[in-house]
Amino acid sequence: MNQRVLVWDVPTRVFHWLFALSFAACWYVSESDLWLSFHTFFGYLMLGLIAFRLVWGFMGGHYTRFSEFLYSPLAGLRYLRQALSGSGARYIGHNPAGSQAVYLLLALGLVVGLTGMFAQGGEEQHGAVAGWLAVSTGIIFKEAHGYLAIVMLLVVIGHLAGVAMESWLHKENLPRSMVTGFKEAAQGSAVSKPHYGVGVALLAAAIAFGIWWFFYAWHEPVAKHLGYGGAQPGLHVAFVGPKLPDNAKWRDECGGCHLAFHPNLLPARSWQKLMDGQNKHFGTDLALDDATKAAVLAFLLNNAAEHSDREAAYKINRSIKASEAPLRITETPYWVKKHAEISDAIWRSPKVKTKSNCGACHEDAEAGTFEDAAMKIPK
Amino acid sequence: MFRYSSAFVWLGVAAMGLTTLPAFAQTPNEVLATLKTAAAGEPNFQEFSAARGEQFFKVKHGKEWSCTSCHTDNPAAQGKHADTGKAIQPIAPSANAERFTDMAKVEKWFKRNCNDVLGRACTPQEKGDVLSYLLTVKK
Repeated sequence: MNQRVLVWDVPTRVFHWLFALSFAACWYVSESDLWLSFHTFFGYLMLGLIAFRLVWGFMGGHYTRFSEFLYSPLAGLRYLRQALSGSGARYIGHNPAGSQAVYLLLALGLVVGLTGMFAQGGEEQHGAVAGWLAVSTGIIFKEAHGYLAIVMLLVVIGHLAGVAMESWLHKENLPRSMVTGFKEAAQGSAVSKPHYGVGVALLAAAIAFGIWWFFYAWHEPVAKHLGYGGAQPGLHVAFVGPKLPDNAKWRDECGGCHLAFHPNLLPARSWQKLMDGQNKHFGTDLALDDATKAAVLAFLLNNAAEHSDREAAYKINRSIKASEAPLRITETPYWVKKHAEISDAIWRSPKVKTKSNCGACHEDAEAGTFEDAAMKIPK
Repeated sequence: MFRYSSAFVWLGVAAMGLTTLPAFAQTPNEVLATLKTAAAGEPNFQEFSAARGEQFFKVKHGKEWSCTSCHTDNPAAQGKHADTGKAIQPIAPSANAERFTDMAKVEKWFKRNCNDVLGRACTPQEKGDVLSYLLTVKK
């Protein structure tokens, strides 16, 4: 005589679906710079969820404890072979093959989340570990992040295939069990406690994190989108990052005739050459007095590309031959490569007009941060 | 009751006026006076003339640009750098209270821009004429 027993407690179900949502959301926007803050939010959420699940594996309902599904990978393979031949036994909790998916997804989620965090901390100098790593190290983490995410996707696909196979093999709807928590089981089977309080707390924590993140990273761009600032249609989610060194004299002198190009966009030798030639600055005599010239030059040299931890600074500096000191940012090999795909029509459009008009596409050109997410080609 | 509330309103207005009053070093008229002192010492000095200043402002002086290339025909309007496209705030004091309030800045920009437009420095006479003209421009 079978009975309905609660197998998956509330926190485990909340965890499962939020974990699935986070993974899907991250994948969905993984190629979009504009949605980087969205991607990052779900990455942090995923890390938080995994941390919870690791604790819950020792404290949760009967079937969610690790001790209930401690199967070796070999046992998992053996079960898989049996299942494929149609003779796999039915498990009320995780079966030996499914357990491998649980462990792999938790481990991969953790590593993918952490590599993503370090990629961003290094390459963009953003997030929880901003400034811990150099740009070059961040780039390595970003590569690893991408490959590991693909591995995780493969495991997710394997997990889905396994769920489909098991549902068919034992004529039961496993996805529904992960929603309701219940399964049919023999009289006297172990029952999980629902743990409503913990489940609600987990969901509330995720929602609270979402609300906090909204005001941290989304509120301003969304408000801009909805009305003020004359923003272009299309949800633009610029990401919040650290501010760069600023200097009133530099901004005043250099920003008088053109965008005050941040010093980190050229190496010190270029700035030195540029300021040495300030009396013939692209055809104009800047007529700076010695004190002003010295003050501006000091700011430029101290914050030049080689002294900056920004991605653009690192890549621009690395692209210039040591024997060269370009005076235009637009002549640096990295800039040229990065803008190669911009068509002539865009350069000629009245909203752009000149290559020095960084602000036409880079919303944060004045700040000098040149965030990936703040880039948008005007229509 | 009424008197109290109106008193508070006036107090508020006064407080706002005090806090928003920009602390400029000089007024445009003081800058003009300084230019006049310099110009008066030169031979062939004539009283500053807004009409001559307008003419100077609007014509080319043998080079590619005139003053209007960047500042537009209307000095009270926002301009645009002829090369870089950067927005330039109005040059007329009536439209931009920051203009001509710092002699050092005035001299720096005259030096830079006269070089671009005339290929030489402007005389105090020319500077005074131009400022006289700009001071007549209404918002």
